[in-house]
Parts: sequence; structure tokens; C-alpha cells
Amino acid sequence: MLDTKKVGSVMIVGGGVTGMQAALDLADSGYYVYLVEKSGAIGGAMAQLDKTFPTNDCSL
Amino acid sequence: MEAGRSPNIEILSNTDFLELSGKPGNFTAKLRRRPRYIDADKCTACGMCTQYCPRHLVDSYNEGLAVTRPIHIDYPQAVPASYFIDPEQCLHLKHGTCKICVPVCRAKAIDFSQQPEDISLKVGAVIMSPGFGRVPDEALSKYGYGKHPDVLTSLEFERLLCASGPFEGELLRLSDCKHPKKIAFIQCVGSRDLTCGNGYCSSVCCMYAIKEAMVAKEHEPELEITIYYMDMRTQGKGFDAARTRAEAKGIKFVRARVADVMPWNEQLKLTYSTLEGGHLFEPFDMVVLSVGLDAPADARKLAEIGGFELNNYDFCQTGGFTPLLTSRPGVVVAGAFQGPKDIPESVTQSSGAAGIAAALIKQDRGKGVVIKSYPAEQPPAEDEEIRIGVFVCHCGVNIASVVDVPEVDRYVEGMEGVVYHAQSLYSCSQDAQEVIKQKIKEHNLNRVVIAACSPRTHEPLFQETLKDAGLNRCLIEMVNIRDQCSWVHANEPEAATQKAEDLVRMGVAKSRHSKPLPEQTVPVTPRALVLGGGIAGMTAALNLADQGFETVLVEREKELGGHLRNLHATLSGEPFAKMLKQTAEQVKKHKLIKLLTESELVQVNGFVGNFNSVIKTTKGKKESESTIEHGVIVIATGGREYRPEKVLEQPVKYSAAILTQTDLEQRLAGSGKNRAPASVVMIQCAGSRGDDLAYCSKVCCNQAVKNALQIKAINPESQVVVLYRDLRTYGYAEDAYREAREKGVLFVPYGMTAKPAISAADKAPKVTYYDPLLREEVTLAPDLLVLSTGMVPEGTEELSRLLKVPVNEDKFFLEAHVKLRPVELPVSGVYLCGLAHSPKPVDEIIVQAQAAAAKAAIPLVKGKVTVEPTVSSVDPSLCIGCGICESLCPYQAIRITKDKDNKRKAETITASCKGCGICASHCPVFAISMGGFTDEQISAQIKAFGEATNKE
Amino acid sequence: MAKQEFSPRILGFLCNWCCYAAADSAGVSRYQYPPNLRTIRVMCTGRLDPAFVFRGFAEGADGIFTGG
Repeated sequence: MLDTKKVGSVMIVGGGVTGMQAALDLADSGYYVYLVEKSGAIGGAMAQLDKTFPTNDCSL
Repeated sequence: MEAGRSPNIEILSNTDFLELSGKPGNFTAKLRRRPRYIDADKCTACGMCTQYCPRHLVDSYNEGLAVTRPIHIDYPQAVPASYFIDPEQCLHLKHGTCKICVPVCRAKAIDFSQQPEDISLKVGAVIMSPGFGRVPDEALSKYGYGKHPDVLTSLEFERLLCASGPFEGELLRLSDCKHPKKIAFIQCVGSRDLTCGNGYCSSVCCMYAIKEAMVAKEHEPELEITIYYMDMRTQGKGFDAARTRAEAKGIKFVRARVADVMPWNEQLKLTYSTLEGGHLFEPFDMVVLSVGLDAPADARKLAEIGGFELNNYDFCQTGGFTPLLTSRPGVVVAGAFQGPKDIPESVTQSSGAAGIAAALIKQDRGKGVVIKSYPAEQPPAEDEEIRIGVFVCHCGVNIASVVDVPEVDRYVEGMEGVVYHAQSLYSCSQDAQEVIKQKIKEHNLNRVVIAACSPRTHEPLFQETLKDAGLNRCLIEMVNIRDQCSWVHANEPEAATQKAEDLVRMGVAKSRHSKPLPEQTVPVTPRALVLGGGIAGMTAALNLADQGFETVLVEREKELGGHLRNLHATLSGEPFAKMLKQTAEQVKKHKLIKLLTESELVQVNGFVGNFNSVIKTTKGKKESESTIEHGVIVIATGGREYRPEKVLEQPVKYSAAILTQTDLEQRLAGSGKNRAPASVVMIQCAGSRGDDLAYCSKVCCNQAVKNALQIKAINPESQVVVLYRDLRTYGYAEDAYREAREKGVLFVPYGMTAKPAISAADKAPKVTYYDPLLREEVTLAPDLLVLSTGMVPEGTEELSRLLKVPVNEDKFFLEAHVKLRPVELPVSGVYLCGLAHSPKPVDEIIVQAQAAAAKAAIPLVKGKVTVEPTVSSVDPSLCIGCGICESLCPYQAIRITKDKDNKRKAETITASCKGCGICASHCPVFAISMGGFTDEQISAQIKAFGEATNKE
Repeated sequence: MAKQEFSPRILGFLCNWCCYAAADSAGVSRYQYPPNLRTIRVMCTGRLDPAFVFRGFAEGADGIFTGG
């Protein structure tokens, strides 16, 4: 069993755009983050999108 | 994709969440990491294994529209940038055969001996962001999905349109690979549909349908597109304007319910019924189903593991005033799992959830973090040889479909100083970054030119890459051959290629003169200023104070509470007064919050980290001023209900019989005997959406439904008629809309060509409208005429001048990036929430305030801000002390001092300098140099521009 | 001799905060415009030394555009 104890850490379940943004904000605020994603890569549904509404910006 | 680079984010992919025990501040989570069968550290993502893998597999990243192999990576920019093997499909793992990939992999990264690994984590807080699931197939199959290949889901259509999709962005029918000429979108598939159990509105489908329709039109301008809808719910900021643009582009919107889709010769026949009750049909080449968002498939399992409750639709249960808290303390929720929502709202919730989690464990802040270190920069030798590396990006097909990228790459060969050049498919992807770092080392590069997209968006990324490679970050030069070349010259590939070559040559010329610049930081005053004491301001102040930062809360009026004091309760019946009172008490009691009522901001100086503001307080006749030093500003100045004098082009006089929705809400909350009279007519968008205000105010439909239900509760006999354009009860509010209809509230749509007419005798109003069901005009003389008048921001224009932050044409503040930085303003250190951003209901305001507070806390936590090195610097040996620069600088960032010989010399105040260069362009002796934009650099660019001109 | 259409070569100085940003958004919205412009990004058009303009003409520009 891999045992990890880090004081001041947060676990985020789900590595889509929501989880990634929360992870970045927490890391920027001085916390260590475990970003748990059940699939092979983070990105979630947004990585499948081509453009975003309403400005049609690139989504990646 | 930045998450992959932070040293303080550990990505545990292929990992299942199994158990959570403990309490806030001290949770233990058990996880299991499934094997990838590929060593992520060794994998170079070269793709050889996928080429050799003999088994075909449907590619789920491309929504099953393409084929991949059991050993694969989802997409080139994926993080981690490592392939993995699908154990359900791999021939070796299933049947013990094959293993072709093992010898093929040069990096020897394939390892079939990997076993699942159990992980136990000790964490202080948990954020649940598992996203959303797919609606059941039955909801799709009734429209022919699965039976006919040209009936697609919106996500499949998105993949078809995408350059990295199965046909590389070419729009083709799956049945015969021909270009479709007519496409239909069917809205509300799997949403607002009790037959599949999803009574709610998914809140995103209207927007993505318009987006996809617009992109498809861009691919093929001749395409005929029709969107079949019930209500177009484009209530978000700027969303209605996009719909108008879509209509202007020729996209048709038809209000109808689609009954079914049947094959018909080579085409699909769509049968639909309109409001007037007509049954019509229309042939199409392709039908796109705008599929809603469902709860994640494993929602119940997650709820059981996490120990929190779900709502009746299996999304996470939260409270109206605590929208991000699950029923288990210490477990916070964000994103679509909290309820269907779009990207900006999800991202806002992320920041809000991060802020709540941060406040929860603030005593442990900074204890677990790793500080990223960079290799030491090599100081450049005086006579160092210039060695430039040029990378020309394809950006998928974004650049390469117009600009001849290989040609541009060839063109670079032999340019002075260029020792290496290459093409890159996506230079921003993590693997491409590694390649750049590797090439810097391999070829001893000391300057890098990236010909790709805009430095405004991507320069920070490449600066980071340079730092990782031991180079000063100012040695990067970006050439914009996408936003300002391939995208705007799509029909002139030759001219675009030539332009790209010219721009690259100019960039290389500038790069030859690039110099490393020192990093500079300034300290931050750890105090926040929050403007506005409504629910947004109070929430933001409390969150900042809970995170441990002194906060000054400034409210113009005597009382806290703002606009919400005029309202009674939420749609689900939670009363505002009690919550406001509790929140105001918390604010007053909090040791770290200093409250200034009857006060307003009159002056601001300084910059992020070091603001200096003057607050004027007026108590009766007594005026006083105080000066506050602070590091950040949160704008939460709010808004109010609009009271237009003219509605639907007719003058109105508000009275006891003609009132706004808020007036009605107060009336219904009172105890008047006849407060819910026998007949009430409500007119939606009275003053909004192009009537007077250009935008949709987002809250009026909910408020109308809420008041209508309240009237029915008080007086079930009352006849309530709601005249509307699109009823925008998005999300769970759809349930209330359905309830109102069931209780007999009559909802009648009107169009812009047949607006209701008000004859405004102020005591006995009459309304005439066209009823599409009866197909005739109806005149009513209701006891009450209620106008949904919309919301306007309060005092944003003055504040915009004071803080030098922009407002949009509707006078709401304009955020830095609509999707990805929704609570930040373009001026660093200034954050935004509440009605000053756009109209929205209270739960969204609370989330936004929490998000703004979380973002504002970041510079306060860091204690310092990094100043861009592109600032001015004075060479004292050349300066003659004339003082022209001091008199011209708009930021008071340069001043004249005396040197040790008592001579007048100019000096830059780095932290205030914005790098505009006015000083440099006016210095008579060229003593001032602009970092990154020196005279030599700009002159070299001009000269390089000339080289092509003279060549012709 | 075939009559050649005049295709001017224009050199532009674009302010990073407004005009350069606007040119980026033009791209994002896929507005199409003639490909005659070559641009130099500056942090503000205040950076523009008149000498840059003269030099641009001397190097063969038919027009100089400043956007800020």
C-alpha cells in the first residue's frame, strides 16, 4: 500500500475542467493537491470540444 | 492543461476512489490505481505501439466515430502524455497472446507485469468534481439514433467538426461520406423530459447547438441549418447576442416539438408539431440531437463512498445558500455534478470550492507544498554566439490548413543566427514542450522563436519552458501566424504563407537582439478591500477573512444586504431575510473584517499588491475620509431591478395595479387580504432582450414562476397568464415551471412581430395579445399587470473610471476571459462578483463571490507579485536629467533623482511601470531602454520587413 | 504589359493591449481581411519613436499603420 501523508493537502475527485481549475487554484493558494481521475488522462469532456460558446475560442 | 506542470498537483489517473473516512482536516481516502501497463516516465508518446497493435477498437474520444487500438492515447495534448493499454481489449491481457508492442517500443516502456496499486491518502478536504454522465439511450433512440447513421448526438457532431476529429474537420455524412446540405438540430433530447426521468433543463444544449451550427456554417456557408426548440435558453452573459448573430448568418430557429425521424429515400424525414397545432414534415441530410447532461453513471456509488446525499435526479444535493457544500462536512462539490452547467459556471465553482477547502484547512497552508525550482540560468557571455531555434506550429489544422507550414519551415533555413528549426503539430502540448527543452540542450540554443498563436495567450507557457531549460524567459519570441494570419486569410493560402514567412523573418530578426532580463518581485499588502455589502460582498469578505486575511468591507448604505433585501424567498422557498441577518451578523462579528457603512470609494492609487484607496464616509452631515492600504480589490457593487418608463414601446405608470415582479413578490409576502387577486397577467422581457435593455436578465422567468406559484398557493382560483418569449427556467427551475403549468398557470408565447399591447390606464390596465392556440387576439383586463423588467448594474461607470477597468455595452464589468477567468478583471489584483458582473440568481452569486474571494486570496497568500520584466530602464551614463520622461509618464513610474555627484538622473519605479515606452520614445539621448522592445529590436524588425519589400 | 493591381505593403505597429488584442479577436471570430499588413507588437503606441515610421518608409513600406 502506498501511504501518503501530506499536511495541508486536498483530494479532488474528477479531473475535468472543473477539477483541474480547482487544483490550480488550490496549488496557487499554498496547498498540495491530489487530482484523482478514473480514466487514463485528465481533461474530461472539455477536451472533446472543438470551440467554446459564444466566442468560439479554442477549448484546449 | 497547466495542471500537468504544477509541482503541487499530483495527478492520479486510471485511479478509482474507494473509501473515505475521518473528518474535516483529517480525512483518509483509499484509492486503487489500475495499471496502465506502460511506464509513464519512459513513454515518449511516439505512437509506434498504436501503429503496430493488431486489434481495432472504437475510439471513444472521437465518440466512436473513429478507430483506435487497445494501446493508445486519447489525444495528442493529453496529460499525462503517456499511452495506456485498455485491459478489456488487449489480446495479451485477455488471451495471453500477441505482445507485439513490447519489442516495438524503443523506450522499453511497456510493462505487462504492472499490478493494481492501493493508495491511501491523508487529506484535509475533498472536492467532488466527477462531471456529468450520458442520458439513457431510450431518449435518443426515439429519434432514430442507433438506427440511422446520419442521426448523431451533438458530441459526435462536435467531433466531426473538429480538426482533430475523424474526418479532420471535414463535415461528411457517415452513411455515404457525402457533404450534407441540410441539417436539423433537435433540442431538449434527454432534458425537460420526464419519460427518461430527466425533468430538469440541462442549461448548456441551446448554447452548444448554436455554436455547432455556427461552426458548421463556417465550414460550409451554403449549409441550411434549422434548430427545433421549445425555448431558446441563452440567458447567460452575451449569449443572446450570439443567438442574434446566428440568425443573421441564416440559421433558422423553429419553435416546435419533433415527433420522430424516419429514413426517407437518401434522407431523413423529420415530423414535428408547431404551437399552432400543425403537423409538418421536412427532409434533412443529417439530424443532430442536442443531448442533455445526466448525472454521472457512478453518482450513487460516489455518494455512498463519499458519504453525502444526492437529489432526486442523482446529482449532488446542496442548499440554496450553500451551493457548494455537500451534506458531509469537509466534502465540497463543484461543476456539473452539482447540477448541469456550462464551462464558465463550472470554472467559477472550481474556484469557489477551492476557496472553501482552503479556508477549512488554513492552519496547514503552505506545509505540504513543493516549491518549484528551475535550473540556474547561464549568464550570457559578452561575445556569445547567437543560436536561435525556430519552431513552426501546425496547431492541428488551424494553421496548417491555410499556411504551408513545411514551406515556412524550409524558408527559415539559413537565416542569420538560426541553428535549428522544426515543425510541431501542437507546440503547446506537453510532449512538444519536452521536445523544445531537449532541442535547446542538444543544440545549445540561446534564443527561441515559436511561430504559432498569440503571445497574449501562450507566451507565459513558452516562457516557463525556457525557464525549465535554463534560459531566461525573455529570450522567447512568438510569431503570431494563427490569430493574425491563417485564421484571417483562410481563402488566400499563398498570401498567408508569404505573410507567415515575413512575420517569422521579422521575429527572428528581433530575436537576434533579445537580451535576458532580471526577474523582479514586489511585496503584497496582505489586506483585501471589498466594495459592496450585499450578499456577494458579504460572502466574499467572509471567505477572505476565513482564509485569514484582514478585509475591509465598504457599503454605501446604512444596512448590509443590498438588492436581496427587496426579495422574499428562493424558488424552492428558502427565505432571504433570515439568511441575510445571519450573514450580516457573521460579518459584524468577524475579527478580521472591518465594516465601513455609508461609505464609498473615492480614489484608488497603486497596483496589484500595493493599492492605496481613499474611502469617504458620510454619517448624517458628518463627512470623514480614511486611507486604506491593501493588496487586492473585490468588486461586488451589485445591481437593482430596472424600472423602465416605456415597456414594449408603450409608456407605463407603476401603480397598485401595474407593478414589477419585485413589487409583486413583496405584495405576496405581505398579509394584504386581496394580495393574490382573481386575475393576473405577467409580461416577460418587458424592457429586456432588445426592448430597452439589450440583454436577458436571467432571473425574471424564475421570479415569474415563483410568484405565479405563490399566487396559486394563496388563491388557487386565481387565473394567472404569463406572456413570454422564451421561458428560461433552466436547471432544476424547470420543475417549478412544470408545477406551475400543472396548477393551471397559463403560459403563452409571443413573438417580436406580435408583441402584447398594453392600454395603460393606470388603475385598470388592459392587455391584448395574440394567442397562437386560439389563433386570434385576446384582450384581458386583469386585476394586476406584472412586468418582468430585468436588472441593471449599479454605478459601474464611475467605478470603471476610478479603477480603469472596462465595462461592456450593457454597463456590466467585463471579465478578463469569459470562459477561463470569469471572476478576474483585466487589471491585475481586481476581482468581480455578483450583479455587477451580470444578472443572476442568488445561488450563482454566492458561488461567484466565493470564487472571487478564492482568486483574490492567491496574491495575498503568495505575499509577493512578480512584475513583468518588460519595463523601462535608464542608463545613467547617458541620462542628462532633462525630466521629459517624468513629465510624460502616465503612471508616475519614472522620476528624477540626484546621483552621488548631485546630478539629475531619471530612475524607473519598476513596480508601477506598465512598459508602455512613452519615456523611451521621447528621450532625446536614447538613455531609456524598454525590456523586450529595445530600439535595436524594433529597428531590426523594420529592417527585416524591408528585406522582403526590396526582394520583389 | 499586363496591368498590375496595386497591392500595398503596410507595416503596422500594434499596441499589445488594444489593437493587437483586437487583431487576435478578429482571428478568433474569423473575420477575413486583406493580407497586406505586417505587424510589430509594442506594449503601447507611446513606444513609437517617429524614427520608426521614417525607417519603415525607407525600407519600402507603402503605408504605416499604428493601432493603439
